[in-house]
Amino acid sequence: MTGPILSVEGLSVDYVVGAGTFHAVRDVSFEMLPGRVLGIVGETGCGKSTLGHAIPRLLPEPPARIVAGKVIFQGVNLIEVPKWKIPMVRGTGIGMIFQEPINSLDPAFRVSFQVAEAVRVRRLRESGRAMMFTGGSMPFDYSKPRPVRTAESVTHPFVPSAPVSIGGATAQEQTGAELGSLTDEVLDYLRLVRINDPETVLRLYPHELSGGMRQRIMISMALSEKPALLIADEPTSALDVTIQAQVLTLMKELLEETHTSILFISHDLGVIAEIADDVAVMYAGHLVELGPVQDVFEHPRHPYTKALLRSIPNQYQDDGPLPTLPGSVPNLSRLPTGCAFAPRCPLGRDNCRVDPGPALASPFEVAPRRVNAAACYYPGEVEALQ
Amino acid sequence: MSASAPLVETRDLVKHFPLNRTIRESLRGRPPRAIHAVDGVSIGVERGQTLGLIGESGSGKTTLGWLIARLYPSTSGEILFEGEDITRLRGTALRIWHRNVQMVFQDPIGSLDPRLRVWQIVGEPMRAQEGLHGPALRERVRELMPTVGLPPDCLDQYPHEFSGGGRQRISLARALSVNPKLVILDEPTSALDVAVQAQILNRLVALQRERRFAYLLITHNVAAVRYVAHRVAVLYLGEVVEVGAVRDLLERPVHPYTKALLAAVPVPDVRRRRARYRITGEIPTLITPPPGCRFAARCPFVIDRCKVEAPRLREIAGHPGRLVSCHRAEEVAEISPDTFIGTVAGRTAPPSASDGSSGVIA
Repeated sequence: MTGPILSVEGLSVDYVVGAGTFHAVRDVSFEMLPGRVLGIVGETGCGKSTLGHAIPRLLPEPPARIVAGKVIFQGVNLIEVPKWKIPMVRGTGIGMIFQEPINSLDPAFRVSFQVAEAVRVRRLRESGRAMMFTGGSMPFDYSKPRPVRTAESVTHPFVPSAPVSIGGATAQEQTGAELGSLTDEVLDYLRLVRINDPETVLRLYPHELSGGMRQRIMISMALSEKPALLIADEPTSALDVTIQAQVLTLMKELLEETHTSILFISHDLGVIAEIADDVAVMYAGHLVELGPVQDVFEHPRHPYTKALLRSIPNQYQDDGPLPTLPGSVPNLSRLPTGCAFAPRCPLGRDNCRVDPGPALASPFEVAPRRVNAAACYYPGEVEALQ
Repeated sequence: MSASAPLVETRDLVKHFPLNRTIRESLRGRPPRAIHAVDGVSIGVERGQTLGLIGESGSGKTTLGWLIARLYPSTSGEILFEGEDITRLRGTALRIWHRNVQMVFQDPIGSLDPRLRVWQIVGEPMRAQEGLHGPALRERVRELMPTVGLPPDCLDQYPHEFSGGGRQRISLARALSVNPKLVILDEPTSALDVAVQAQILNRLVALQRERRFAYLLITHNVAAVRYVAHRVAVLYLGEVVEVGAVRDLLERPVHPYTKALLAAVPVPDVRRRRARYRITGEIPTLITPPPGCRFAARCPFVIDRCKVEAPRLREIAGHPGRLVSCHRAEEVAEISPDTFIGTVAGRTAPPSASDGSSGVIA
């Protein structure tokens, strides 16, 4: 058993804006094991996207500020890595899929160029032509000998070994000769994400593709860099349900083929139930529950998880008003002392409001007994809640 | 029940959005093309009841809602409101008629003027319909606030001061202010979190019980339809593929598309995670759709007849009150949407890459 691929320890992120300081992420800790999918769920504004962006240091600083904590990826604390080295982690180390594929693809370039760019970056890093984040004690490892240059590796990615026409494109349509040698690999990745007729799709611009196709292109770009960890921030929320089902099925199949670890952020509990192995529930910047997905969904041990699950209108449920939670999400700039959920909690008692927020026991310590960890003083009473 | 005419009924309602021809196309004498957004839809909404319209983006459900609210002129067909065809109403008559049908739009930010205060936004229909203004209008708005669950002291606030749920309540208050007979709810909860969504849906159901509004609930959220609607119509590419009583239809779907749609809805239940009925391909283009059944290209049960002859909505044995538009309805009726159909991927023709052009419509 290898160690965790990513461990986040006590991460806190603030947004410092004119109106005050918003505590978007508070003291979040979790570990990700290789080959597993961790789902992060929560309502709008609970900090799940901030968390997902903080790990590969994608947050604009300012206004964001990482005030405490560690993000240990491949043995290196990314928070301490100098900013200029961070881009080396992205792509080949930590890949990212965003919510709106149309916003993450460049409208001015064909699909071929954009996927090829990702493949090229990986090749440059693998061949030692670009510095690569390798983990270990240093952000990147100079001690390793550079790969021996064989005839094959001498073929610079920018120089095609033979002029290759891309699916009937004229020479002028090829954006630089480098596309040639990459085309085969690009086509492989498009086929990997089940794109029919990839030769035609290569020549299209993002606006000529449907939402599902665009998201598949994004997934192929992320996978083509062979990341150790993939962060997917609401990757299917912009898609229709039948297309969403296709993309989820595809991601599940790719998981089995590539064994990538995925941090899957979604507000949709149904999607999380479909794809995740473990689930982390966030509320007002805090991680309130963490555990294997089946345990959390069937035996929630935090009252917020329970309330969240019960408020979903279920197509198999009987009549009667939908259960709702009183009150609203607290203001992140003025979090209450004590448990952030206490004011809305049916179990809330005096000590919940006064004592510091309960800590989350690590579920991996509680294991092998299948108990999900909840940040609650009275987890045993949650089951009986109506 | 069915003896009395429905409150609103459409008959073969059609809406085509013409596309501009390029100069080259005009010179070559190509006939103008059009997006067939709504193509021959006949549905009815009973008084005090809710009809749910479900379908994916591009299925024409929003267009249909706008047509019934007379926000778009229809291309052909009739809309009978209390037995009268309203498609020809113009000018003052149309304006007066509009008090019968009000709308809650999908985007709670875009549909509220950021420069107006809450009482001005909510009071606008009353000003237009009843000529109210000033303190009298304000007082009426104040009385309205509790019915949608807003505090009465928020009259002078601006929309940006509210959360998503609060904005949607303002939108709802505005729609209800003139006591309409029909409220068209266009994705009222899709921009909201689940917890807030439940509050709004509860409010909608309570209001209907109290004040006998009829709702046309347009949504892609199957669970919301189940909770709010009495009957449900499933739209695919501008056509109704299945209509029926809500629980019956959602539990025993007949049309292959309905089955696929329901099977695709992610359910927060880990035990249901297994290989389920999946359809391949994407929604094809609505520009000059192919003859035959519009679902034929994605349907796992497609036969040659489907590709040439368009099915009509018809009743089928064993499902009273259900209308289905499928040639093979009887044969596929009992196939559960939870079944894994291994042949789905193999049997369906892969969509060509030009299907990407459907992005134009979405």
